[in-house]
Amino acid sequence: MEIKNSQRKEIIRKLLLRLELWFAPLLLIVPIIVSVVFLLEWYTKGFTSGSSAYDGELLLSMLILIGNIFFDIPFIRSIRTLKGKQ
Amino acid sequence: MLFSEMSAKDALKTTKERMSKYQDEFLERLTAIEVDAHWFRRVFHTFAASFLFYYLLPEGELMNDIKIVIPIILVLCISLVEYRRLRGVLNHQRFFGLRNYEKNRPASYLYFGFAVVLLFLFFPQQIAIPCILCASFTDPIIGETRYYLGKKKAYFIGFFVSLFFFLITWYQAEWWVLIPVSIIGATGALVGEARKLRFIDDDFMIQMLPAILLWFVWQVTIAFNIHILPPKIILPI
Repeated sequence: MEIKNSQRKEIIRKLLLRLELWFAPLLLIVPIIVSVVFLLEWYTKGFTSGSSAYDGELLLSMLILIGNIFFDIPFIRSIRTLKGKQ
Repeated sequence: MLFSEMSAKDALKTTKERMSKYQDEFLERLTAIEVDAHWFRRVFHTFAASFLFYYLLPEGELMNDIKIVIPIILVLCISLVEYRRLRGVLNHQRFFGLRNYEKNRPASYLYFGFAVVLLFLFFPQQIAIPCILCASFTDPIIGETRYYLGKKKAYFIGFFVSLFFFLITWYQAEWWVLIPVSIIGATGALVGEARKLRFIDDDFMIQMLPAILLWFVWQVTIAFNIHILPPKIILPI
């Protein structure tokens, strides 16, 4: 039991050092959240009040969302492939 | 034996064993995951477009100070991390996705962050936004298309992608401003990306070169009492 616990601690220590595992979800989720915030800003302040001053935010939200998804898909696929090989 | 017949102690023991088994399985699965460094670098670039959230932050005396101080502190922190890595205090292997040539010089993410902070603090958002977008998307697009189509075609595509970013950021400007500004900006971004310098990373140049070029254009037109900057496209919350 003692040996198993120390093995587990060692695995956790190694995992904590693998920064890419902790960064990966952040890199995928944050841009989507930001684009949704831009979209909501455009909708609540621009679209509902008929103001075109917020149209730029709509463009940017689409750009961030599409641009990120475009690169997120091969990134997620690459993770799966490597996982599958193992 | 039925669960009802078990003593509380046995139930606790069984649950503990199961939990321990699940934990081991979960750790095993996590350990088996491997992230591809190539796509990790690409996604790191596109993630940087999220920094545009900065322009959504509300304005106010205190908030404006925070908007200056926080980015500077963040860059100082990553500079410290890089300093420690270059001095050998932090192991190079711990930094996932670094290229071989970054072993003995500051990594590109520091240049990227430094350029973003300069843009936030010293340039109007109309100039800063397309420059950040170029570093976030044009750079990885050129990187990918270069692999499949060759250098020339990749730069050609990169130019038009950058041009698109300047066009959508300045879409409210007059056409006689919009077209030359977009061409100057896209050319600056492309030169910044294509021209490889020994000590300055392209992630810095792709942002700063178009920004400086447009800043000069802006200042020259102001000298002639012509105001070319269009209205801001991101308004604070």
